[in-house]
Amino acid sequence: MSPVPAAELAAHPFLRGMPDGQVAQLAEVATAAYVPVGHRFFEEGGHARRFWLIRDGHVALDLSVPGQPSLIVETLGAGDMMGVSWLSPPHEWQYGAKALEDTRTFELDGAAVIARCDADPALGYQFFVRLMTVATRRLHSSRIRMLDLYAAPGQTGGR
Amino acid sequence: MTETQPGGTRHADGPFLMDVTALSQLLGALEAAGYQVIGPTVSDDAIILSELGSAAQLPFGWGVELAPGGYRIRQRSDTAAFGHSAGPQSWKQYLHPPREKMWSVDRSGGEFDVVPADEPAPRRAFVGVRPCDLSAIGIQDQVLGRGEHAGSRYAARRAGVFIVAVNCTEPGATCFCTSMGTGPEAGPGYDLALTELVSDTDHKFLVDIGSPAGADMLAQVPVTPAGDGTTGLARSAVAQAADQMGRSMPADALHGLMAGSYDAARWDDVAQRCLTCGNCTMACPTCFCTTVEDVSDLSGEHAERWQLWDSCFSLSFSYLPGGSIRSSDHSRYRQWLTHKLGTWHDQFGSSGCVGCGRCIVWCPVGIDLTEEVAALQAEARQAEAQQAEAQQAEAQQAEAQQAGSRTPGARAGGEQQ
Amino acid sequence: MTSGYAVPAGYAVPAGYAVPAGYAVPAGYAVPAGYVVESSRAETRDTVTLVLRPGRQPIAAHRPGQFTMLYAFGIGEVPISISGIAAGPELVQTIRAVGAVTRALCAAEPGQHVGVRGPFGTDWGVGVTAGSAGVEPPGTALSDPAGKDLLIVAGGIGLAPLRPALLTALAARERYGRITVLVGSRSPAEIAFTAELDSWREAGADVRVTVDRAEAGWRGNVGVVTQLIGKVDIDPAATVAFICGPEVMMRLTARALSALGIAETDIRVSLERNMRCGIAECGHCQLGTVLLCRDGPVLDYARARPLLAIREL
Repeated sequence: MSPVPAAELAAHPFLRGMPDGQVAQLAEVATAAYVPVGHRFFEEGGHARRFWLIRDGHVALDLSVPGQPSLIVETLGAGDMMGVSWLSPPHEWQYGAKALEDTRTFELDGAAVIARCDADPALGYQFFVRLMTVATRRLHSSRIRMLDLYAAPGQTGGR
Repeated sequence: MTETQPGGTRHADGPFLMDVTALSQLLGALEAAGYQVIGPTVSDDAIILSELGSAAQLPFGWGVELAPGGYRIRQRSDTAAFGHSAGPQSWKQYLHPPREKMWSVDRSGGEFDVVPADEPAPRRAFVGVRPCDLSAIGIQDQVLGRGEHAGSRYAARRAGVFIVAVNCTEPGATCFCTSMGTGPEAGPGYDLALTELVSDTDHKFLVDIGSPAGADMLAQVPVTPAGDGTTGLARSAVAQAADQMGRSMPADALHGLMAGSYDAARWDDVAQRCLTCGNCTMACPTCFCTTVEDVSDLSGEHAERWQLWDSCFSLSFSYLPGGSIRSSDHSRYRQWLTHKLGTWHDQFGSSGCVGCGRCIVWCPVGIDLTEEVAALQAEARQAEAQQAEAQQAEAQQAEAQQAGSRTPGARAGGEQQ
Repeated sequence: MTSGYAVPAGYAVPAGYAVPAGYAVPAGYAVPAGYVVESSRAETRDTVTLVLRPGRQPIAAHRPGQFTMLYAFGIGEVPISISGIAAGPELVQTIRAVGAVTRALCAAEPGQHVGVRGPFGTDWGVGVTAGSAGVEPPGTALSDPAGKDLLIVAGGIGLAPLRPALLTALAARERYGRITVLVGSRSPAEIAFTAELDSWREAGADVRVTVDRAEAGWRGNVGVVTQLIGKVDIDPAATVAFICGPEVMMRLTARALSALGIAETDIRVSLERNMRCGIAECGHCQLGTVLLCRDGPVLDYARARPLLAIREL
């Protein structure tokens, strides 16, 4: 792990458009990380303290099922933000996360980010608008997948 | 292209005068020329279309009373043969039959033999074609008989048809051909056009020739050149009919009105009344939609495909695996009306309505499309007025704001952009 | 006789709907041409690709994106996408079993006869030079996006009508810029043409697949197909997109691409409605102003968007 120059962090799509001063505050609590394929970022039920901005690679969010290989809920990749369970109690990961390829990320300390947002509401606003956008997009895509659009008509609860 | 102004479509010769007694000679000449003669006749308390054995079968002295959801024949005070308006049927039952075989296929000995249905198309003479119905034939020609359809069964039947049109002098209560530009004077497309002149002492027809075939046929019938007086009388009777329509369609461009009315509240209103029975589509002389039926015999070696009239009011019409696209009554009535008056223009280059009024008469609950269109128009105008009002209010507000900020400082500060 | 009936004023033939002089209506237009099933390949649990060999007379040449009406003896006829390019007069068609006719077609064995009418409808615009020997049939063919990047987005069986466009573009690889294929599928087992994905990559396409539901052993993407759009490099000004899949998926995808800055006229979708005739005379495939068998199935999104926005149209 190594500290992150603000300019590099600013290039991540999650932070695109954020004023330089605010990115600099986040850079203070960010580290660059490189993990090999197979690396487990976190386990379901584990204590959630951090989140990641994926620079490249491929990560699976999964749930373990007794007697079966773990079930992939969704995969994330370059440009995605990963991890929101750190934000609110009980601070427990809802899923596990595992690298499907060698993956480069920026890793940020959740509590430190919250502290900076508390101190600088302008940063807080910018940060949470982005977080909300990610959450909305994920919710949207979950709803679409629930529709089971590609099922043959009448096959399942789909169309 | 033929001109459409009065007289422009007529043959250079004529017009002629034909006595009512010569009508049977005209029908006889048509029959002699190999035509099956079809025309109006009274049957089962209605004026229907049927093969005519003689001119005597024409509905002399019969008229009709038309109303939304109502049709009655009545005895006229004169002996007019064509003193009636559109009946329950139209000529499409002959040109585009309700049920016909398309092709059959045999598979035996590893062969797959498709045989197109080859019913010989009888040469038919249509006698008593109203101007609205003549336009309807033209519209179906465009959909079913031109372009890539030039070789269709429809086109083959159509090519053999001889048309004796009859101009309208006495429109019915549900007629609105004047609004649709299809009558009361017959447009191009006829071989002969009659204007009936009937009085206590006299029963004659003014005859216009519309084609060389019409001229040939008329040559076999005793006629005299019509004098200016009689011609003028006939022409003015037809012209007067234009002002006697029982209904009218709003003058607004219907194509645009329909395109802007998909979200109208009126559809819910009409859907409350509409039974989605599809009678209007069956009675309409231009409705052309069909479905198919596949049948096979017990051996499983012979199969046939039949074509049947279909209606956009049926749920199966818009079925896709999973369900029907137009599941609400609202959407099915909307489909019919917006197609007829609106998207027909986009698809086929004209309106699909000729103003014959059949859909009003044969609707079991008396839905009147002219009334529905008027309501849609009123709704559109109201929406327009509200929009204009809102825009005006907005503009006034903007102006007031601009006036308030019109200071040199603000301008210099570039706040105006 | 009135065979020389003139079009009355006000009943003008719209431009594009008139048949060009010299164009002869080909075999298999109104009446099926007999074809024989040459081979049958199961794509997924419920989807089959048939290769059909003409009997006496083949139907006219087709273009990528067009469809035929396939007839199962005595049962009925359905519109089916042409899903491949054959070297000879064979037809490659992919069918999903969703009803009586499609079940019969999916079960068709080599040697069995089927009826074929077509090809019908508009095409994707790729390789429009095919069939240039004669007079082109009427229709509104979209222009060939030569020199542009191609972005092909498929949902489920929607890959079938896109496949001939992709194969045509790959066969003339230098004619186009980047070629990207994004495929959304219900599950890994339900990806059609899965055996070919690598060969498309080798031929110069960036092919990415995502599934709604992963199965054990799946190492690929899990998520909706629109999420893949954010993962590929797209130059909005130089991209022409072809989309085919369930209508909801096409709307979402077109909206996402439009939001990226791709012009609606550069987004092409292939639409589906009930079809009975394929030759614009039965009225079933109406979608507002268009008859999809004649003016579609491929429309650009500028034309399709307002039509798809009206409920129950």
